[in-house]
Amino acid sequence: MAPPSLAPFILKRPWLAKALLPLSNWYSNAAGYRQLGLRFDDLISEEDETVLHALKRLPAKENYDRVFRIRRATQLSLTHKLLPKNEWTKAEEDVPYLAPLIAVLEAEAKEKAALDNLEIIKRH
Amino acid sequence: MISRSALTRGSQLALRRPDVSKLAQRGFAAVASPKASYEPTDIAGVKVAARDDHGPTTRLAVVVRAGTRYEPLPGLTVGLEEFAFKNTQKRSALRITREAELLGGQLTSYHTREALVVQASFLREDLPYFTELLAEVISQTRYTTHEFNEEVENVIHAKQAKIGAVAIALDAAHSVAFHTGLGAPLYPTANTPVASYLNENSVADFADAAYSKANIAVVADGASQAGLAKWIPSFKAVPATSAEGLSNTAASKYHGGEQRIAKTGTNAFVLAFPGSSLGDAKPETAVLVGLLGGESSIKWSPGFTLLSKATAAAPGAHAHAANFAYSDAGLLTIQISGGAAAVRKAAEESVKALKSVAEGTVSKEDLVKAIAKAKFDLLSGSETGGVGIVHAGANLVHGGKPLQVAETVKALESVTADQLKAAAKALLEGKASVAAVGDLYVLPFAEDLGLKV
Repeated sequence: MAPPSLAPFILKRPWLAKALLPLSNWYSNAAGYRQLGLRFDDLISEEDETVLHALKRLPAKENYDRVFRIRRATQLSLTHKLLPKNEWTKAEEDVPYLAPLIAVLEAEAKEKAALDNLEIIKRH
Repeated sequence: MISRSALTRGSQLALRRPDVSKLAQRGFAAVASPKASYEPTDIAGVKVAARDDHGPTTRLAVVVRAGTRYEPLPGLTVGLEEFAFKNTQKRSALRITREAELLGGQLTSYHTREALVVQASFLREDLPYFTELLAEVISQTRYTTHEFNEEVENVIHAKQAKIGAVAIALDAAHSVAFHTGLGAPLYPTANTPVASYLNENSVADFADAAYSKANIAVVADGASQAGLAKWIPSFKAVPATSAEGLSNTAASKYHGGEQRIAKTGTNAFVLAFPGSSLGDAKPETAVLVGLLGGESSIKWSPGFTLLSKATAAAPGAHAHAANFAYSDAGLLTIQISGGAAAVRKAAEESVKALKSVAEGTVSKEDLVKAIAKAKFDLLSGSETGGVGIVHAGANLVHGGKPLQVAETVKALESVTADQLKAAAKALLEGKASVAAVGDLYVLPFAEDLGLKV
C-alpha cells in the first residue's frame, strides 16, 4: 500500500510545489534510499495482495530492474557500504512506477465494493 | 332481460378500437405473413437495418466487417471479440457488466468468417442506454495490457480447448477451398502459433482499422424508427473511414483439394463443394441442402432426408448438410462425425446419395418435402435472432440488400427436379474440398469416394 501523502494536495498548487521542491529533494536524499540505488516505489511493502497483484502487472523489464535494484541494495546494506556517488539514484530517475498500478487496483476494488453494496431505488 | 345499454359501455368502446376489430377478423385458418424484412436506412452516416415487431425486447447489434477473413494477422478477430465490453475510457468492464445486469440486458460478442458482432439484447425501453454503450465499446475501448494478460488470453485458451473434430475439419475444408481470406480458421487452435501476432497493441491497431462507419452496420430487431433516429447519433465518435483500412479484402476464389489431420478422439469428415453466396443466392442449393438434410425433424424415424438414410447403414455416425453463405462465395458442406469406421461408411453412402440426386432419382414427393424444409429453415432462421441479424448486417456492410424473405421463399417454391439434378451434377463434376480429421488409417481418401479434388 502506498503510504498516505500530502503530495496530491501540494502538486495541485504549482507555486507551493515549486516552493517545496528543494525541501522534498533534501528529504528524499536524507532518507538514504537513493544512496543505495533504490527508487521510492521500491520501498513499498510487498506483503499485500494489492501490491503483489500490481507487481504482476509490471512490464518484464521494469520487474527485472526492480529486482536488480533491491538485490543490490540488500547487498550494500549487508556490507555496510553505499554506492559510488555517480551511481546514486538521481531525482529525475526517482519516478513512481508502481504507485500508479496500485492506484488503479485500489480504484477497481473500491468500485467493486461500491457496486456490491449498491441500493436500487425504483422510480415508479 | 339485460338491456343493451346495460352492457358496459367500455366493452363497446373497446370493440371499436382498430386493433381489436383486426383481432376479430383473423380467423383460425388465416395464413400468417412472414415477419417484416430488415429495412436498410442511413442515420447520421451509420448504416442501419431495422425491423420492429412491437415486441417487449430489442436486439441491437453492431456488425463489423472484421471476421477472420479480414484479419491482417492470425487471431486478431478473436482478440477483438474478447475485448468487447472491457474497460473503456468512460467506465470499467465491471461497471458495464453490473449496469447491464441491473437493466436485465445481455451482452454478447461473437464472430463469423466475415463479420464480428457486438450485440446487446435488452428491454425495449432501455434502447438509449445500450445504443450509447455499444457506441462506447467500439470507439473508446482501452485495450489495456493487464486485461489482455489476465482476461482475454485465458478465455481464448479455454475456448481453444473446446474446439472439436468437426470444427477442425470445417476449418480445414475452408482452408483447402479458399486458401487465404475465407480459408483462415474460424478459431485458431491451440497448435496455431498466434502468440507472436496477438497482443493488445495489434488488437488495438486492428480495432482502429475495423471500427469505422464505412465498415460497420447497426442492426436493430424490435426497436422503433423514432428511437433509432434519436439515439444512433451517439455513434458520432466512430470515425467515418479509417486511415489505413482493412488490408485483406481480395475476392474469394474457390480452389478445392484435400486435407487430412491425425487426431485422437472423435473422427470428423467434411465434404465441401462450391455453394451459394449471399450476393447470388441459388435456390436449388438451399433445396439440395434440405434434401440431403441429415437431422430428422420428427421423432423415432430417420426422416426422408438422404443423409439420414445414408447414416442408417452406419450406426454411430451423424451426418448433416449445410450451406455456408458468404458475401462473394459459398460452401456447401456435408459434415460427418462419429467413430472412424462408421464415418467411413457414412462418407461412402453420402457420396452415393449425392450421385443418385445427380442421376435424377429424386422422387416428386421428396422434392416437395425438401422445398418445405428449405422454406422452414429460411423462415425460422430469419425470425429467430442470431442468423437474421448477422445476415442483415453482413449484407449491409458488404454493400448488398438485407435478405428479402418473401422473394426468396417464392424462388424456393419454383425449384424443379431438373434444376436439382443439374446442381448436383455440377457439384460432382467440379473440384471438391475434402477434410478428414481423426483416425487416418480408416478414414477414406477423396479419390476412393469417387470425388475430384
